[in-house]
Amino acid sequence: MQAAAGRLILWAAGLALLFGAWQLTLSGGLLAPELLPPIGQVLATAWKLLGQHAFLMNVGVTAAEVAVAFAIGMPLGLLIGFAVAESDYWSRVLKPAIFLVFSIPKTIFLPMFILAFGITFTQKVSFGVFSTVFIVIISTFSALESVKSDYVTVARAYGATRRQIAWRIYLPAMAPILLEAARLAMIFNLTGLLLAEMYGARAGLGQLIASWGENFMLSELLAGILLTAAAAILFNEAVRWLERKCEHWRD
Amino acid sequence: MSSVVPIRTDLTSAAAAVEPAIRVDGISLTYGAQGRVTNALENIDLTIAPGRFVVLVGPSGCGKSSLLMMMAGLRRPTAGTITCGGRAMTAPQPDVAGVVFQEASLYPWLTTQDNVEFPLALRGTPKAERRERARDKIALVGLAGFEDRYPHELSGGMKQRVSIARGLVQDPPILMLDEPFAALDEQTRMSMGNELLRIWEQTGKTVVFVTHSLSEATYLADEIIVMSARPGRIIDRITVDLPRPRTYAMMATPRFAELRERIWDQIKHPVGE
Repeated sequence: MQAAAGRLILWAAGLALLFGAWQLTLSGGLLAPELLPPIGQVLATAWKLLGQHAFLMNVGVTAAEVAVAFAIGMPLGLLIGFAVAESDYWSRVLKPAIFLVFSIPKTIFLPMFILAFGITFTQKVSFGVFSTVFIVIISTFSALESVKSDYVTVARAYGATRRQIAWRIYLPAMAPILLEAARLAMIFNLTGLLLAEMYGARAGLGQLIASWGENFMLSELLAGILLTAAAAILFNEAVRWLERKCEHWRD
Repeated sequence: MSSVVPIRTDLTSAAAAVEPAIRVDGISLTYGAQGRVTNALENIDLTIAPGRFVVLVGPSGCGKSSLLMMMAGLRRPTAGTITCGGRAMTAPQPDVAGVVFQEASLYPWLTTQDNVEFPLALRGTPKAERRERARDKIALVGLAGFEDRYPHELSGGMKQRVSIARGLVQDPPILMLDEPFAALDEQTRMSMGNELLRIWEQTGKTVVFVTHSLSEATYLADEIIVMSARPGRIIDRITVDLPRPRTYAMMATPRFAELRERIWDQIKHPVGE
């Protein structure tokens, strides 16, 4: 409880610092008001945007892409991770390849996705999945490695079935690392999808932000950035909260 | 102590007249493939009477832990059979033998209570009964009040107590321990030995205990089974005639030294030609 209060104070201090620096930059004349509108104006714009049907429609498009890509990418990564780790042969063959591909920035493949699928929902989702899946596969490898063989031996000694070993040993042992994987996957997912929208889309948050930038609509642009950042941070913190609940036993 | 003990005691004493607690018949264990076959254990025959405290000692790599794992049904021998309480140990029989491993091997995400309940939870024992039986065994090993602690909050000795409580929670007639105190410091090790003897005297279980410490073996055992270096064979079976209850003072007696010496003589030379 005390730790939670401490975090809240840190958060508030961080926000105050950000907004203070923002206002100082303006009043000190470091940036022209055209480049950096006052914080109050940006917050008012953000509030106005949240009441606009058209804006919410765009948010809905992005949210749908993010949700579908996550709902495919996460289980797909887990499945591939398990399947590869399960077999000694495929581990030897595929693990190095997966680590190599992981190091390549996925953004450079975006034009190929447009060529393959056009500027469509399918293109966005498949690019989101592509951006997400490798970090999930690699996290699954390390989650599986974190399950000590002793855990399984003990369970077998007490007569556990395969299903019981999966649910009572593997799942809780891997939960902290898998939650971390979900958190990282969402960051990769959002980055990939917003980029794909900014690069070419008919609707969506990324497309809005890109066009506000091109049209020099700084107040909307900054409001869009604030709102997107807030949503991402909210998801991230929610999963971290779960993580802390699941890993209190790790030291 | 527990309401379940008398039932089990009846079972074992009824069987005792005809059947040893553990019977090992012609066990061999080899591993490796063509050309590079290792004979880990060769032709082991052994019977252990109910209620005895039997210690397996031998040089490291003699296969004593492998033999224990086979007795527990966790490993298949290449040849031979093992029965515990009349049941073939071709798979683990948790209601016949509870196992305590070298590192306490507790689940770090479970509390003391839940770790001890774990074997019962696997069999779907009702929650209330599970609570009750686990609480009994936690008290038996001297950890009442630590039910809600997680393993990382416990000392090494306390973790092994939890592990012993978990081994006893189903009231199996046999308790098998694989170098349970090897990772503990000398003092903790000694007092855990005494604790184990107290628990054994209180419950009347058959105990099979693996160690490489000759003093520990002599201090604890009714009988010591001495094994040779690879291929592991039984080279001696020593009845320890020190009176019970055992005390630290006995470790300074000539008889203790004599028994210890007899084991040492057998394992210090490589056996065989």
